[in-house]
Amino acid sequence: MTDTQNAFDPLAITVFAQGVAMIAEEMGTRLERAAVSPNIRERRDASCAVFDAAGRMIAQAAHIPVHLGAMPESVAVVRARTPAVGDVFLLNDPAHGGSHLPDLTMVEVIGHPVEVERIIGYVAVRAHHADVGGMSPGSMPFGATELVQEGLIIPPVRLERAGESQTDVLALVLANVRTPSERLGDLRAQRAACAAGRDAWRAMVARHGDDWCNAATDALLDYTERRARAHLASLDGVRGHCADVLEGDGVTDGTIAVVAHVQVENGTLFIDLTGSSGAVRGNVNAPIAVARAASLFALRVLLDRDDIPVNEGLARVISLTVPDDCVANAKRPSAVAAGNVELSQRLTDVILQALGDGLASADQDAAALPAQGQGTMNNITIGAPGWTFYETLGGGQGASARAHGPSGVHVGMSNTRNTPVESLEWAYPLRVREYALRRGSGGDGARRGGDGVVRQYEPLVPVVLTLLTERRAVAPRGVHGGDAGRCGINRRDNEILPAKGRWQVSSGVRITIETPGGGGHGAPSQDSA
Amino acid sequence: MISVGVDVGGTFTDLVAVAHDGAVQVSKVLTTPHDRSIAVLQALHESAVPPDQITRFVHGTTVVTNLLLERAGTRVVLLATAGFADVLWLRRQERASLYDLTRDHPAPLVQPGDVISVHERVAPQWGDHGEAPQGVAVLHPLEPAEIERVVQAAIATGAQAFAIVLLHGYAYAAHEAALAHALRTAMPHATVAASHEVLPEIREYERTATTVAEAYARPAVRRYLHTLADALAQRGVTAPRVMTSAGGTLRARDADQHAASLALSGPAGGVTAAAALCRALGLRDALTIDIGGTSADVGLVIDGEPLVERGGEVDGVPIALPRVLVETVAAGGGSIGRIDSGGALHAGPESAGADPGPACYSRGGTRATVTDAHVALGHITAGTWGGAVTISAERAEAAVRTLATALQRTVRETAAALIATADANMARALRRISVERGRDPRDLVLMAFGGGGPLHACGLADMLGMRQVYVPPWAGVLSALGLALAPERREAMASLMQRSDQADASGLHAHRASLAHTLMAPHEAFTVRAWVRARYLGQGHELDVPLHDDDTVDALCTRFGAVHAARFGYELDRAVELVSLRVTCEGTWWPLTFTRPPRTSSTPFDGVDDGSMLEASVPGPCTIRLPDATLRVADGWSARALPSGGWWLERAGEVP
Repeated sequence: MTDTQNAFDPLAITVFAQGVAMIAEEMGTRLERAAVSPNIRERRDASCAVFDAAGRMIAQAAHIPVHLGAMPESVAVVRARTPAVGDVFLLNDPAHGGSHLPDLTMVEVIGHPVEVERIIGYVAVRAHHADVGGMSPGSMPFGATELVQEGLIIPPVRLERAGESQTDVLALVLANVRTPSERLGDLRAQRAACAAGRDAWRAMVARHGDDWCNAATDALLDYTERRARAHLASLDGVRGHCADVLEGDGVTDGTIAVVAHVQVENGTLFIDLTGSSGAVRGNVNAPIAVARAASLFALRVLLDRDDIPVNEGLARVISLTVPDDCVANAKRPSAVAAGNVELSQRLTDVILQALGDGLASADQDAAALPAQGQGTMNNITIGAPGWTFYETLGGGQGASARAHGPSGVHVGMSNTRNTPVESLEWAYPLRVREYALRRGSGGDGARRGGDGVVRQYEPLVPVVLTLLTERRAVAPRGVHGGDAGRCGINRRDNEILPAKGRWQVSSGVRITIETPGGGGHGAPSQDSA
Repeated sequence: MISVGVDVGGTFTDLVAVAHDGAVQVSKVLTTPHDRSIAVLQALHESAVPPDQITRFVHGTTVVTNLLLERAGTRVVLLATAGFADVLWLRRQERASLYDLTRDHPAPLVQPGDVISVHERVAPQWGDHGEAPQGVAVLHPLEPAEIERVVQAAIATGAQAFAIVLLHGYAYAAHEAALAHALRTAMPHATVAASHEVLPEIREYERTATTVAEAYARPAVRRYLHTLADALAQRGVTAPRVMTSAGGTLRARDADQHAASLALSGPAGGVTAAAALCRALGLRDALTIDIGGTSADVGLVIDGEPLVERGGEVDGVPIALPRVLVETVAAGGGSIGRIDSGGALHAGPESAGADPGPACYSRGGTRATVTDAHVALGHITAGTWGGAVTISAERAEAAVRTLATALQRTVRETAAALIATADANMARALRRISVERGRDPRDLVLMAFGGGGPLHACGLADMLGMRQVYVPPWAGVLSALGLALAPERREAMASLMQRSDQADASGLHAHRASLAHTLMAPHEAFTVRAWVRARYLGQGHELDVPLHDDDTVDALCTRFGAVHAARFGYELDRAVELVSLRVTCEGTWWPLTFTRPPRTSSTPFDGVDDGSMLEASVPGPCTIRLPDATLRVADGWSARALPSGGWWLERAGEVP
């Protein structure tokens, strides 16, 4: 095309940003539409990203924030393994670019359209698979103390080598999971998403040339960084601190400290998790990528602008400190299944609240920062031989200076959709007896916290139930005089179950999950009391 | 014999009258928001079409869209299965914005408290040992006493409109039907919509929202259509029709039972016309873009037909009925250029709208818009234009200069960048809707219309690697033209929920025949077509596959596999689930016979399309003034006038 020889003109930043965002978006749609399991196709527990040859993330389509900025690590470990054009890697090892084991990340190495051996970039697709083996159906086990118990550990391995399928590798993976045909379908969907991203990025390079794309990438990342710093500059000197807890690690019930100090200085957001608990025996640990994602998420909320792109430029304005021995800095052999879903929520809670308090005490506008939301994903796994059903439930969002908190939504690091009751009842031998808002569960206040939900399941066959939940004892806090939201409750018939556990459940028994409400904002008025 | 199409837009109401011999008349009046039928009648009056020659009168209406946007419909009470009364508030659980944690979804159409729980329950029937269900069973019957209790409770609300949505009602209609019958008997004047009548498809949230929207809009639609029909009858025009979201037309008297199917009627006309024009030119597949002042509508034509899918939404209300796929982008001629805190140039989403409009209109606007950029570059010439608009080159340039100064660039560079920025926004939507459906834009023709379409066509095509552009005749009023051309089409749907290995073809065909029978009177010679909505077992996203007369189940599944492969790139070796059946009965299209008369003048072509034929092609860069728009032929492109009207553009060296 005619543009090939042209140098990149900075006036075209928006055009380039749209172009690369479009690639990530296309990958996401391809994945969602082609996936087989409800977890990906309906709940969209997945993310897609595009990287340049240097491994810099150019664009990401994240449906759920816990994947934000977590995939550069996946591409970095692939790049350390002498990748060649046409290689497709699969990984889930938390120590090597993964998060928790059910998140299978696929990375494809993209070659130049003409000089076919030369690498011009990478695409990565992460999707939460409903089972990757291990001690418990759904691979979100209760009581795991070692990573090997949680499922098949996949270091970066080649599913395709120079375009040739490594069927023995695929066979090994499928032999270690409970639902191989569903996994195969989902892996193919990931493959299709990678292919879409590869073709689109290759077409971009073919059209504009390497120099143009490199210059455009530099400009886009610098621009993103500049916008974030411009906003942070107005918050210079803001400092805050927040301490909260997780309610046990699945092995012991003792609380686990989660602490954040935040500070804005010279256009940089400093986040320090010093004071948080060391690594724990149970599986609420998480690799540092999760803390990074929580930090990026908090930054996005703080920026309060939805037109700032997501790429490496955003990560540059964050300085994150995590102690070496920390629940948020998991290393082999620590178990991590629940950390990705629950520690991530608490990290978000403490970082956002530290920022909110810091803004308020510096007399800065904190309207974008709500009181604490439900602070858990309410992970529910129900399974029997031959099938596993996993879902997470929404609850109350905290209220803010702007509005009441929304009800029945995912807060913080998740934003997956629910499984329609009608779809669920055709797909699994489960009956849903109730699905409703949990009225009055949001904290009272000048603006009320959002309500949680009630969902009641009745298995039609004997099943194993695994719950990984939080905020069953320590409630989501209100702010500025607003009340706390109500804690969640788990029940088997009338018996109250702990926040985390694994149980055999007979058919006909009712499992009821009531999710927490969000915190209120401002003192309740006299009239409403 | 004349067919009239009237498109009621936000600002203008357009009328196109097409005679059987191809003669076309156009009139344009201002929309009258308080009663939109007034402008319809005005447009008819101004067109001077003799009413006694009007054999078709088709109307594209935004009446339902506006009801939903303004939340101005009737109070609706929802009757839902006990335990599931909050379905509209639970939605699909995702939040309104990923990062703005303070934002909530628009409120549902039903007020909190306006839900009556119904004690009954139907569910898929699992085997005692977990064998997969083959149908549904009644777990808890709907007792006569419960019906009576619910009817009394409904009467006590004082409401006049009711939506009945029971769990699994798509697969088992008897409970909903019994309730509907009881309500209609007890309250003969009330509006009662039941989900098995409106949208017999799995997924309770989307089905509930759609059924509620039907009850919510029906009374107003009825009033509006009756008023309009009466007024037209007084002027000698009988049997008006309206366009549905799916691109067919319905008789006004039928349409008031299908109010929700009018929710996306507005934009459907443009793509419908585009498809008809494509067929007339022998084109199969095209991407369409209709660029107006504040927004651009993007659509897709496949095999000469508008792509019809489910999944539309108006202001947070999902309408899961079939609709012509149209994606709206906040980019148009009025989009305002701005520079953000990182120094990047954006076009929109803020728009100068019609008032004050772009700076070049001299109506008080001072901020540079995309239209001003075109004026500054000479794509649009200064002077007096159709209507009351006078274009000022000085004002356009002054506005763009403000941006250019801030960017430390020239006016021309800035203007070009502003246009490219708007193009990128639109190109993303064009690419999204095509690539997501397994279509590569490079294999498609770009069809550009609306006031701004012909200006942006080459830029968009270049961004997407497209080499052919078609600018149709009557580009400024194409939606109204689509209304005039579109056939009558009645639709019905039924739930199937069968696995392909348990389905039998004769049952499918009988089902199709009985649905068609309910749609047509015996003397009506409509074309019957059917689609099966299907997915691989376990998938949650369906595809529509045509069902042909002599199909076996295997043939249908093979076709499904081919469609799946085209869309997603692979097939699966597993059973296919037949989710639902859609049957349409379609009348005839109005004939399309535009022709350009030979050029009488010997003077050279001066860049103004006077409607006559032009033999030589016109090389870019240049602009051609069309009757109601400006066509920009970019560098590297050439344009030639088509004998059937409109223009064909291609990148140099390629054969159309």
